[in-house]
Amino acid sequence: MTERTFPVVKDAAVAKDDGSAVLGATLTSCSQPGEPSPLVLTTKLDNLINWFRGNSIWYLLFATACCGIELMQTGGPRTDLDRFGAVFRASPRQSDLLIVAGTITYKMADRVRLLYSQLAEPKYVLAMGSCANCGGLFQGSYSVVPGVDSIVPVDIYLPGCPPRPEALNEAILRLQDKMRGERWFHRIKG
Amino acid sequence: MEFRDIQERVHTGLGGSFEVQDEIHDPAIIVPKEQLRAVCGFLRDDESLRMGTLRIITGIDRPAKKDSTESGSIEVVYHLCSYVHGHTVVIKTLLDREAPKVDSVQDIWPTANWHERETYDLLGVEFEGHPDLRRIMLPKDWVGHPLRKDYEPPKEYHGIPTTREAVLQAPRVEKVSPAQHEPKSDEPPERFIQLNMGPHHPATHGVLNFLLETDGEILRRVKPDVGYLHRGMEKLAERISYPGTMPFTDRIDYLGAMFTNHGWAMACEKLFGVEVPRRADFCRVIASELNRLASHLIATGCLPMEVGAFTPFIHWLREREIINDIMEMICGARLTYNYMRIGGVSRDIDQATIDKILGWLDNFEPTIDEFNRLISGNEIFVKRLANMAVIPAEVAVGYSLLGPNLRASGVDWDVRKNEPYSVYGELEFDVVTGQGWRGSIGDSYDRYFCRILEMKESVKIIRQACDLMPEGPIIAPKVPKKPAANEVYARTEGPRGEAGFYVVSDGSDKPYRARYRMGSFTAMSVIEAVTPGLMLADLVALIGSLDTIAPEVDR
Ligand code: SF4
Repeated sequence: MTERTFPVVKDAAVAKDDGSAVLGATLTSCSQPGEPSPLVLTTKLDNLINWFRGNSIWYLLFATACCGIELMQTGGPRTDLDRFGAVFRASPRQSDLLIVAGTITYKMADRVRLLYSQLAEPKYVLAMGSCANCGGLFQGSYSVVPGVDSIVPVDIYLPGCPPRPEALNEAILRLQDKMRGERWFHRIKG
Repeated sequence: MEFRDIQERVHTGLGGSFEVQDEIHDPAIIVPKEQLRAVCGFLRDDESLRMGTLRIITGIDRPAKKDSTESGSIEVVYHLCSYVHGHTVVIKTLLDREAPKVDSVQDIWPTANWHERETYDLLGVEFEGHPDLRRIMLPKDWVGHPLRKDYEPPKEYHGIPTTREAVLQAPRVEKVSPAQHEPKSDEPPERFIQLNMGPHHPATHGVLNFLLETDGEILRRVKPDVGYLHRGMEKLAERISYPGTMPFTDRIDYLGAMFTNHGWAMACEKLFGVEVPRRADFCRVIASELNRLASHLIATGCLPMEVGAFTPFIHWLREREIINDIMEMICGARLTYNYMRIGGVSRDIDQATIDKILGWLDNFEPTIDEFNRLISGNEIFVKRLANMAVIPAEVAVGYSLLGPNLRASGVDWDVRKNEPYSVYGELEFDVVTGQGWRGSIGDSYDRYFCRILEMKESVKIIRQACDLMPEGPIIAPKVPKKPAANEVYARTEGPRGEAGFYVVSDGSDKPYRARYRMGSFTAMSVIEAVTPGLMLADLVALIGSLDTIAPEVDR
């Protein structure tokens, strides 16, 4: 009768000299110590973190104008942002991404600053629609901020008036790409 | 009554004779400012006039002509209407431009309160006797009044440059330091709690702020603070041509863009004297009613979501995607349609589209009943809404509520029926009024259920219009570039009520003044009157049942 075996994870993370980290999950069994099982996953710690982050982009429900309707529609059944792990949160404390969907007026500007500063780090801003990009149709108006990048740093500019849900999907994918390129372990090590 | 009879009645009733401006489309009585209150009171109370509703107050800046010795003036225009007799009248008063002051009429029509604040904010007219004359749209430290013709916008505001060029030259923003916010009310809080709800709040339908004063869970006072989406559309219209303003009207009411398009087109057609081909009118009606469905889907879907039921909303989003597809076939856009042109529409509705519409309607109609089974009869949902925030008919008329909000209070008034425009006069449909289905007439449930039933009426209208649509051209052959100097008021019945467009032309190719009247503005102003005594959570349901959207409030 063969003994029951339990996989054991060894060497969960090893820091390497070049500043990166290798995460190895070597599955071994108790009965044959030292001999690796066929199932081995190795990855860089950064990649793992970014994989987690990229697939759980929680965005703040911040719709000011027309673009907000398309944002809503993107979360709806057809385009379904949830597929990418992106769900909306009502509180900035729980979100990573500020989607500025719509026109920002001077009266609103300070609130945008406040919301941005309440997001948890690391945080990203997606300017959705021409209004958020540059003031759009209302650039010449006396009360509209000519682009939200004059108040908060913007990572992704998404053109359109309003952008289609497919375009917003694409923007989220681009943001995932951007996230994948970031290095965290290096920073933690100092 | 016709204008002449109204004028007669005012003259005999008040024993005087007022000047009349009758060369314009909707003639106006010019009242000296000392007599304004007397005339307004008479117009409201006289049995044969009964002007119970103030539609809008408009300020028009008329600076002195160059090389003229006269000082300029500011016109304040009041559009009144009577639901009882179904007639309308315009009265005007002229003020000195340097120190414009006039008596407030907010105790005659409560809705005047906000209109006067807006006129004060944007034109600097002082309304004497107004209890709360503050800026409404712009921040309180703003300088100047933008709708004055000689207004110069600032170079920067709170460190934000006001031109795109300046933003591009500035370095990328890295540090963000928001200002500290203090409680806003000046009175010391005693046993009452003061809360800020908004301007970013998931349940406020866009950017709206409410200053709440609560006694535990009970609301003592709710002050809506609007203007967070004030985009200055009325000023923009003065700089852009008549056809060029059409895409801007999409953004006034992004859920009912067809109606604002239609209203603007109708106002311009009156000005230019253009006839719309019959087929174009049918195209307009079909597109508009589809748009009403799309808007009511959001309204009736969001309300359950706000009281805690998420599923119905997703069902309606699914249906709305199909309307969006149809709209794309009709005009190429999903949300901001820009479909109408002065004198017609931009594209024809072809047979393939009609087939798609009719096919979808066959599917959609049973879905309404399914939706009712899903949520409209749900015990918790009904209990949350029935008998909550009842708006009696007098209040609804005094605050000039519009559309389903007005009809839910039992007032049978629908522009499509009472002042038929386009081809609505030939189509058969019923006007839905509140019946107190689950509680009393005018409660939140009535407002919700009116919308559900209106969807069925829209389905009827679309079917008939598809049936009756004749062949022919879709746009008038020739539209002049410039209208004659005139003033017109055009209205359509949008999903949030009458969308009114008051356009003043001076004979050039741009409007001299454009003024938009929208349903959400007045719906927002009634909140202060009906909330005392409600629970805090009821406020969210009330906003949902009024179906207000921010750009309509702020424009
Ligand atoms: S970009 Fe266009 S659709 Fe979006 S908020 Fe601005 S005007 Fe509306």
